[in-house]
Amino acid sequence: MNIYEIRNVEVALGRKKVLKGIDLDVRKGEIMALVGPSGSGKTTLLRCLNRLIDPDSGSIRFEGKDIRSIDPVELRRSAVLVPQESIMLDGTVENNILYGPRIAGASRKVDVAGCLEDAGLPPRMSGREASRLSGGEKKRVALARALALEPRVLLLDEPTVGVDPRKVDQVERTILQFSERRRLTVVWVTHDVPQAMRVSTRIANLKDGRVREVKETSEFEWEGVY
Amino acid sequence: MTGIPYTPEEGALVLAGASVLLIVVLLISVWKKMGIGREFVVGLLMGGAQLFGIAVLLTFLFRFDDDVRIWFPPVIVLIGLMAVIGGRRSAKRASGMPGAVRITTPAIIAGAAVSLTVLALSRAMPLKPQFIVPLAGMAFGNSMTICSLALDRLVREFEMNRAAIETRLSLGASSKQAMEDLSRRCVRAALIPTIDRLKTLGIIFIPGAMAGLLIAGTDPLVAAEYQLIVYLMIVGGGIVTSLIVAVLSRSRFFNENEQVRDWI
Repeated sequence: MNIYEIRNVEVALGRKKVLKGIDLDVRKGEIMALVGPSGSGKTTLLRCLNRLIDPDSGSIRFEGKDIRSIDPVELRRSAVLVPQESIMLDGTVENNILYGPRIAGASRKVDVAGCLEDAGLPPRMSGREASRLSGGEKKRVALARALALEPRVLLLDEPTVGVDPRKVDQVERTILQFSERRRLTVVWVTHDVPQAMRVSTRIANLKDGRVREVKETSEFEWEGVY
Repeated sequence: MTGIPYTPEEGALVLAGASVLLIVVLLISVWKKMGIGREFVVGLLMGGAQLFGIAVLLTFLFRFDDDVRIWFPPVIVLIGLMAVIGGRRSAKRASGMPGAVRITTPAIIAGAAVSLTVLALSRAMPLKPQFIVPLAGMAFGNSMTICSLALDRLVREFEMNRAAIETRLSLGASSKQAMEDLSRRCVRAALIPTIDRLKTLGIIFIPGAMAGLLIAGTDPLVAAEYQLIVYLMIVGGGIVTSLIVAVLSRSRFFNENEQVRDWI
């Protein structure tokens, strides 16, 4: 079953046409990697998937419904985007993790320690000032913050950019573990093709605003991506 | 008693004397190629013409201040002009924001209206042109300044914090929730000069109303009391203006789908 059905999506940013007719399905529960060179439209497509922007033409269906008919705020709580730049909100790590559920008016108790552990961080970190964390720690807090919303889809924009190269493995493993445990669908934007081969179940190769090919990861050949 | 230390006949001579300093400044600016000479002269001529224009109008209004049918229409037109000009001037602070005048004009009108209504209800402003025109000038002028500061700050802070705002949106915040902190910061920043002036009132800053009253020979205690009443009302109006700017500008930053608009 497809969680996203993307048909002939076109987006122009200013005068530049960034997406030029994207057709793509994302299956429920899979980890789909979007690869391609800079400027190929990966991030723009990701932003369309949680309605940070709307396509100029074409359609996107989420769980069978036209995305334009879904309240964008509700959609963003179900399909959470973790941007490339991990900006910490004011206050402690705990404040950051509770932000989403708090503004959603969630009555359920949020398992802050569980979210931190799932993101590979020790629960004792919850009282630390978020702005003082290292780049890698901020990435993980951003993931934990997204998990606190209990989303069905995670939209990850280059989640390991800026992470200490020795710790990239750890972050990848963490994401794979929690996405499996929580049965999440993940759309993972990366310019790093070997990473896409390590983490994904399928790979969509974007170039110049179009999907050049979509393949099972085991069948994907990465020559010619750039 | 006029409070002015020279006769009306001597006025032109005193004005000419005072202008000597301005002419010296103008000559220096031309000599040093500061590039402000032309703007300076235009500003001087405009300011002077506007002052004398309002003086002529006030002379007419004061003559008929017992007949509301005569003074009311021109006073309303004057207040309308203050609102329109203030709104347009303030909107120029919002670089690139489309339709900014539709934020600034209502915000300035609301702030000034609150000030003037409270002044009228508290009997600090009798309904006569002699009081309404200068106090409206102060209320609109102050609201315009606060409006400009709030809007300028909002646009700059939004540009600088766009990524943080989109992070909040991505976590399911509505545009109102995403802008909450930023709006609060901007409202506070816009009011800082007014609050600072309030703190230094009478020490390093004697405001226009009190200065005028003192020159006209009013008892300093009475002048101070009146100034305080006026100033508090103006501060209240300023707060209203800045809050309205923060609320109305949200629809300029975000569209109906809680997305950041293209212009920003």
